[in-house]
Formats: sequence, C-alpha cells, structure tokens
Amino acid sequence: MDLNLNAPHSMGTTIVGVTYDGGVVLGADSRTSTGMYVANRASDKITQLTDNVYLCRSGSAADSQVVSDYVRHFLHQQTIQQGQPATTKVAANLIRLLAYGNKNSLQTGMIVGGWDKYEGGKIYGVPLGGTIVEQPFAIGGSGSSYLYGFFDQAWRDGMTKDEAEKLVVKAVSLAIARDGASGGVVRTVIINSEGVTRNFYAGDTLPLWHEELEPQNSLLDILASAPAEPMRI
Amino acid sequence: MSFRIFEYNGSAIVAMVGKNCFAIASDRRLGVQLQTIGTDFQKIFKIHDKLYVGLAGLATDAQTLHQRLVFRHKLYQLREERDMKPETFASLVSAILYEKRFGPYFTQPVIAGLGEDDQPFICTMDSIGAKELAKDFVVAGTASESLYGACESMYKPDMEPEELFETISQALQASVDRDCLSGWGGHVLLVTPTEVRESTLKGRMD
Amino acid sequence: MAQSAIEVPPKGGFNFDLCVRNDMLTKKGVQLPSYRKTGTTIVGLVYKDGVVLGADTRATEGPIVCDKNCEKIHYMAPNIYCCGAGTAADTEAVTDMVSSQLNLHRYATGRQSRVVTALTLLKTHLFSYQGHVSAALVLGGVDVTGPHLHTIYPHGSTDSLPYATMGSGSLAAMAMFESQYREGMTREEGIHLVSEAIRSGIFNDLGSGSNVDVCVITKDKTEYLRNHMLPNPRTYVSTRGFSFAKGQTEVLSTKIKQLRERVVEVAVEGADAMEE
Repeated sequence: MDLNLNAPHSMGTTIVGVTYDGGVVLGADSRTSTGMYVANRASDKITQLTDNVYLCRSGSAADSQVVSDYVRHFLHQQTIQQGQPATTKVAANLIRLLAYGNKNSLQTGMIVGGWDKYEGGKIYGVPLGGTIVEQPFAIGGSGSSYLYGFFDQAWRDGMTKDEAEKLVVKAVSLAIARDGASGGVVRTVIINSEGVTRNFYAGDTLPLWHEELEPQNSLLDILASAPAEPMRI
Repeated sequence: MSFRIFEYNGSAIVAMVGKNCFAIASDRRLGVQLQTIGTDFQKIFKIHDKLYVGLAGLATDAQTLHQRLVFRHKLYQLREERDMKPETFASLVSAILYEKRFGPYFTQPVIAGLGEDDQPFICTMDSIGAKELAKDFVVAGTASESLYGACESMYKPDMEPEELFETISQALQASVDRDCLSGWGGHVLLVTPTEVRESTLKGRMD
Repeated sequence: MAQSAIEVPPKGGFNFDLCVRNDMLTKKGVQLPSYRKTGTTIVGLVYKDGVVLGADTRATEGPIVCDKNCEKIHYMAPNIYCCGAGTAADTEAVTDMVSSQLNLHRYATGRQSRVVTALTLLKTHLFSYQGHVSAALVLGGVDVTGPHLHTIYPHGSTDSLPYATMGSGSLAAMAMFESQYREGMTREEGIHLVSEAIRSGIFNDLGSGSNVDVCVITKDKTEYLRNHMLPNPRTYVSTRGFSFAKGQTEVLSTKIKQLRERVVEVAVEGADAMEE
C-alpha cells in the first residue's frame, strides 16, 4: 500500500454549480487526500469570497486556497472603493487573472457562483489553464467525469430552487459513489436575491446507487449507539 | 564514485557533560575515502577559553565554516565586549547552517562550552542546523553509530573531570576501532572552570 | 564579482552559493547527507474550554534515533503553540520565525496574537517555497475568537478541524481520535485522549517513540506538560555502570592551560542603565 503521506495535499473532488430561476446552487463533496490517505473527511471546498459570491475549489488545496485568499482580499478592497457589492463577473475575472498569470505553477480548477443585482445568478467555470467560461451549469474535479452524461440528461432551463438543489445533491452523491477521490458529505450553497443558504447532507443520508449497500455497524452506527467508551473491548 | 559525502574524509566527534565540566573529543585522521592523508588533523576548534566546536563531515566545509564562526564571534566580541554564551553560539551556528538550507555545508557541528555559572552546555546539529540539546552526550561523524552505543553504556551522570576524561577517551577509542574512516588516536579537551586540559591519545594506526 | 572583502552578516533569506558545487557532487554520484527528521506523531484536539496538543519525543536521522527526548511542541505566542513534523531544521526555523513576527506584531498592536495570524504567516511562507521547506504542522491556540486548531501541510494548504493528527504516526493516532473523540470533552478527557493517540503512534509507528509531551491551552492559562507520560523507561540500567581507573587510557601528550579567574567588575553609578 503506497500511502505517500508526503504527496501534496490535494482535493480529488466533485464540485458542481447550477443556475436556476433566480439564483445559483453550488455543491461539493468533502474529501481531501494526501496520496491514498484521507487527510480531512469534512472539508469545506465552497469558500466564501464576498457576501454574494462563493467559490468551489478543486485540485491542489494549497494553490486554490492561495488564489481564493488573494481574490477575497481584492474583492474586499473593491467593495470598499466602489461602495457597493462586487459582482460575480468581477470575482470570476480576478480569479482568471491569477489563474492565467500563474498557469505554470497552479494546479487548480475552480467554479465561481454568485448573485448580483445586474446579472442575477451566474456560474463561471475557471478550469486549469485559466480560461473563463460563463455556463448555465458547471462541473469540476475528478468526479466530474462521471457526471457529464447525467447533466446532459437531467439539467433543464428554468428549474426551481428546490429542483436545482436536489439535482446538485444527486449529482455529487452519484460522483461520490463512483469516484474514489470524492467522498464524505455533500455541502451545498444557495445564492439568490434573498441571500445565502448553506446546507449539509451527511454521508448516511445520501441516496444509495447501483449495488451500494445499506451501511451496517459503520462508524456512524457505533457513534450513534455511543457507549461510554466506544470501540473498547 | 558512489559514497556518502560524510564518508569522504571520515571523522568521529563526541562531547560529554560531567559535574561542572565537559569534555569534547575527536579522532585525528584525515582521509580521502579509504586513503589516509593526515594523522594529526584538527577537528575541534576553540571559539574562546570555555567554548569549543567540533566539526565532523567534509573537511573543506568544516574549515570554511570554522573561519566564518571565528569571524562572527570576533564581531560579537567587538560589539558586545564579552564572549558569547554557548547557547547564543549554538543559535548562531544553527542560523548560519540554515541559511544554506538548499545548498548546505556538509558538516555536522558539535558545540560544547561552559556557560553562566560554569554550567556545562553541549549540543549538536545536522548539516542544516536542526539543534539537538542533550544533557548527557552528543556524537557526530562517520563513527557516530558506534559512538551512540559506546556512550549509551559508558556514560554516567555527574562524573568528576578525571573519570569523565577516561570515559570519553574509552568511548571514542572503542568506537573508532569499528570505523574504517576514523581513528589514528584522538584529541581530548577537558574543560573545567579553572583549567583546560588538552590531551592527545594513543590509538591504533591502521 | 564585486564582493566585498569582508562578508557582512546576512540580513535574512536563503543563500544558494553552494548549490552549484553540491549539484556537481550529486551528478558525480555522491550521496548527500540525510537531514534530521522528526518521523513523528503529533496531534491536537479542541475540548470544552480550549485546545490540547500532543507530540512524541523521538528524532531520527535515517534509521538512527538521534534524540530520544526532543521537543516537538513549539512556542508561537503565550496563547498559541505549534506541533512540528518533517525536517527538524525546517519546523524549528519556520516556527521561530513566525513566533518572532507575532511578538513584533504584539508590540505594534498591544493585543493578544490570534491563531489565524499565525496560520496565515506560516502558510504564506510554506506556500512561497512550494513544499521545499518540509514542515507539517498542527497549530493550536485560544484567542478572542475562541479555541482554534489547524493543520498546515508543507505545500501551504491548511485545514481547520476539531481534532487533527500529522506525521508518520498520524494514521495510528487518527484511529484513536476517530473512535473516541466527542464534542465537549473535559480537560481530563482531552488530555487522556491526546495521550492515548500519541501512545498509539509511539507503539505502532517506527518513526515515533519515547515519551508523550502535552500542551493544554485555555482562555487564561497555558500549561506545557513536558514528558507527561514516560511509557518507555530504560530497561538496561546498570547500578554500577562502567568505571575506568585513572590513567587507563594511553596518553601521548597533555597540555594544561590555567584559566584566569574572571575579573569582577565593580558597577559604576548610572552605568547600569546604559547596559540594558
């Protein structure tokens, strides 16, 4: 078994962003790994940039954290200078600027999602090379390869908020089932004119897919029936 | 030509703490791999009367580093009008070595000195300045593995100077006899608050 | 090559002068020395009133144990401590550097340091060296915003967690945490679980060993429990030990130098203030 704990901390990830009637829904799994070891099983890959713009990160954890930290800094400055909230487009452009300018040293793909009064809910994909693509929905990370067909079939224009979130949770849980590098829980962020809602779907509440089995005597079961000292014989 | 860089010249250095005193000892061989070049090579250097540094590893780097350390200590003396405390000196050596983190001197220092109130202080580092402060003994060089074993069993706390001298000498001799790359007798410095006793040991010449 | 004749002490930063020579030696097949590592178990957890950090005390150089009782819980600020794994020189240097920056920042602001400040300083340094400064850290502390625990990887990525492990023994230690950690533990439970996690590293991971160090940080107190547990006492203690008779070693020559007694300086009125 090659654990390779010295491998860079990276997020073999599933991230998705979906627009709906009136806003956007972002979704992500919660697994961060170093080589074969799950370094964090409850990480938050949906990072806040401003009040109304969020970022889904994939690839190298170090690189994506630095990019998001810088962009958050720039957006705060811009918000103060302009006296009004930064738009999703500006956020996406700043990310692109960093991603493109340092394309040879950054290993990270990102999805920006947000709501602003000019353009409403918008999703921008910023993949590896530093291009920027405005999309009605975007998927990213290692788990996304299992999702293209699903989205082609399941996504449609003019969904309601609940339909969109259902789609996101379903997509991430499908990818978690098939992609070894994605796992843990599903986190979602819904952004619209009313503000931001964060939701959390624990691993044992996710739907089961093809040939997946109901967990038995899992860690969660043991913890739920907590004796004074669990796992002590 | 595949060998470890520390094995180019060969060395064995050890320092031990006794009761209000310390001893630092080295072998005397300078080699180029298995060929012996010199048999009275200096590896322990004086910084001031109560502070010594032994430099194991690549001889050229040891001598260069020694020159820089002497230089920095003299600057300190000019500025502060006093000698450096051993702890301060250890931090200086560590900083100088870590500065070359990505292109290091191939040398492993052993620092031994008497500090304030003549409290003995010993310390060693790897070639990039990771300090290891010990209360008993420290070792360095190609014979370090044997030295660990010998010191581990021979060392006792709070030895008087005479016994400390015998112990460190025996540990050194026993260890270098199991190392091809160090030997030819030894230098031992025994430092007490009142005197410095510098001895040359007789050893095997093979 | 307009270098000055005297080399002035450097102001900081790395020096790459020897890289060319060392690369040349490597290309000729010379093996470079291994550095001192802390093949380590370091852990931390958040409990009811604060943070508990833990570490083993073994330092290794290749297969050799070169320090049986080293300190891996580094001081950052009075309310922040940091466990280090990886190359010993790097963990030591990086924590020292950030600790002094925090100290200066406290002088400038007159406020207690925050854990996020330490975290950001550490991660920006590590990120700028792209993983070549190999320090894997568990950072813990309590500040005005409450207790915090973070892990920092050599490449500069960070995580915030209720319980964290790092180093070669992290799997063994995480097994203990995953099975026994709960929210809202008491101080005693926290120390116990941290100690058990470190012990599982000490006994199941070859890179970790010797003793258990613990550090407990709460809002108004920091306790550093050095050698909290000593699960590996020496089993080969001989009562007499070796003793060598005086004159047993063959000596070729001896030179004795008497050291002058130190001249005691008499303090002059008003001179004291100058020296401080």
